[in-house]
Amino acid sequence: MSDTLIKVEDLCKIYNPGENEVRALDHVNLEIEKGEFVAIIGQSGSGKSTFMNMLGCLDVPTSGRYFLNGTDVSTMKDNQLSVVRNREIGFIFQGFNLIANLNAIENVELPLIYRGIDRKTRHKLAVESLKLVGLEKRMHHKPNEMSGGQQQRVAIARAIAAEPPVILADEPTGNLDSASSKEILEILKKMHRSGKTVILITHDNGIAAQARRVVRIMDGKIESDTINESFEQEEVL
Amino acid sequence: MNGFYEYVKMAVQNIRANKGRSFLTMLGIIIGIASVIAIVSIGEGTKNQMNSEISDIGGGQIYIYVSSEGMSEEVWITPEDLQELRDLKYVEGVSVADSYNGETLTGKGTFDLMVTAEGPDAKMINNADMKYGTYFGEREVEEAKPVCVISDSDARRLFGTDDVVGMSIDITCYDVTKSFRIVGVTTQKENGTFVSYTYEGMPVNVNIPYSSMNELVGDVGYFYSVTIQSDTSRDSQKTANEIIHVLEKRHQCAGDEYFQVQNFQDVMKSMNQMLGMVTAFISFVAGISLLVGGIGVMNIMLVSVTERTREIGIRKSLGAKTSSIMLQFLAEAAILTVIGGIIGIILGIIGAYGICSVISVSMQMTISPGISLSVILFATLFSCAVGVFFGIYPARKAAKLSPIEALRRN
Repeated sequence: MSDTLIKVEDLCKIYNPGENEVRALDHVNLEIEKGEFVAIIGQSGSGKSTFMNMLGCLDVPTSGRYFLNGTDVSTMKDNQLSVVRNREIGFIFQGFNLIANLNAIENVELPLIYRGIDRKTRHKLAVESLKLVGLEKRMHHKPNEMSGGQQQRVAIARAIAAEPPVILADEPTGNLDSASSKEILEILKKMHRSGKTVILITHDNGIAAQARRVVRIMDGKIESDTINESFEQEEVL
Repeated sequence: MNGFYEYVKMAVQNIRANKGRSFLTMLGIIIGIASVIAIVSIGEGTKNQMNSEISDIGGGQIYIYVSSEGMSEEVWITPEDLQELRDLKYVEGVSVADSYNGETLTGKGTFDLMVTAEGPDAKMINNADMKYGTYFGEREVEEAKPVCVISDSDARRLFGTDDVVGMSIDITCYDVTKSFRIVGVTTQKENGTFVSYTYEGMPVNVNIPYSSMNELVGDVGYFYSVTIQSDTSRDSQKTANEIIHVLEKRHQCAGDEYFQVQNFQDVMKSMNQMLGMVTAFISFVAGISLLVGGIGVMNIMLVSVTERTREIGIRKSLGAKTSSIMLQFLAEAAILTVIGGIIGIILGIIGAYGICSVISVSMQMTISPGISLSVILFATLFSCAVGVFFGIYPARKAAKLSPIEALRRN
């Protein structure tokens, strides 16, 4: 129990409550332990994005409970959720979501600013995480001066800079060519190997197959939850 | 708030990264503030100019005239009346001003004259500044001295120089010619803009003691009007009533309302009313420019903040609290409005001076802008308040959205 990082109980998200209600999440139960590499897969409309928003505390559930690191976050207020997002979760979005007029290092520093870390430490952490994604030479480039793959690496650096226990990647390769996609997935695997919990949301079976555990979502319900044996082998190799 | 510096830095970064948008935002504020300051300053300047010219006419002066119903010798004002009025303790000076047309011939040609027969305190009543010599006074009036006072500009017209004390003018009135010695030269008040105006071809003004007029036009034993300088600390209406009472008693016509009052404070009162209307008009125009400026600021702020909803979403997803977002936008709006405000104040003042000097040159008057701190403060505070409010309010709305909703907007 002590290793459980994420625990979701009877989680529901209902849009348009009433006659035309849409059950985007329908009584979902899931546990994820520390250090796991989980792929959540589903087709568009399956509810996987809604689920990811719930896991990332970007949206609040209609009902059910969500324990993150032992704390019930499903009843938290907006400002408390901001703190949780800042400390517990590193986001990687499909559309990168970098701020256009900030350069790479400034983008990476953003969550650290909101955490209240002083300038020197902030700079050090940002440089370290940019090095980790191999962008130490692009620190002062703005997003529009970088390729999609590089932008996503900046986003990853931003996600890991504050050392959150959970990395939440929502279709991180959705906007990238196959070469960049491979790079990004390698980095995510590296994160996992270094002990991070990585949750990858995707619609692509090929990408999901790279994860150790695959959770399949359909119509707002968990359809299957399987362990990928080949993943272990890869790691042994 | 130790993070405040971070938000200011963020704000500066954003302002510099979006120069076009920042400039437009500031422009709204600049125009709003500058136009209000310029308009009010020019308006106040004009008003002050009018005001100073009106108060030049004289405070505390009371003008009493015999009404047209009283056109009989019994009620005309006599030199003895003047003497008695002059002895009243609240009367500081008495003069009359009967004007006669005349002419004179000097080395420079023939000039039409406006000969004004005045009383012993003419200098005070006319509020005259002496350039050379002295004004005639009680003694000259009593002794009917053939002396006169003219202005420096009239002296130049007659003699080509204004240092003419001791020279004589031959005044011809009703075919009688008499020589008057000039005892004083006054400084012609600068051409008033609204009240008095002299030009070539206007008759030359010559002021003489009323008693010396007798030799030109026969015995001037009475006057139709008298101007009294009263003690300004007293209510001029009360003083006027008392003077009328004295006159009515002397002429035994109490209650007949033969003597009428016109005191200059009344004139000033109505002039001030007019000025008040001018002020109201200025304020109205200023209010409209303020409103228009405010709407401009509001629009640009609404647009620029709304188009940044996504940025707000990103920041929130990274852990920014609503208050952090608000601080950032507050800092941005404050910096923009303060810089815009300062530029607006400077441009407004420059504009006011510029337009006033153009008016002054083109209309030959001197108007200096009446720049008032309260107007500057009010205009600046209003525009800044509008700017800051509409900079924060939409940001607050966006920050209150769930981050995922803000991220979805593009």
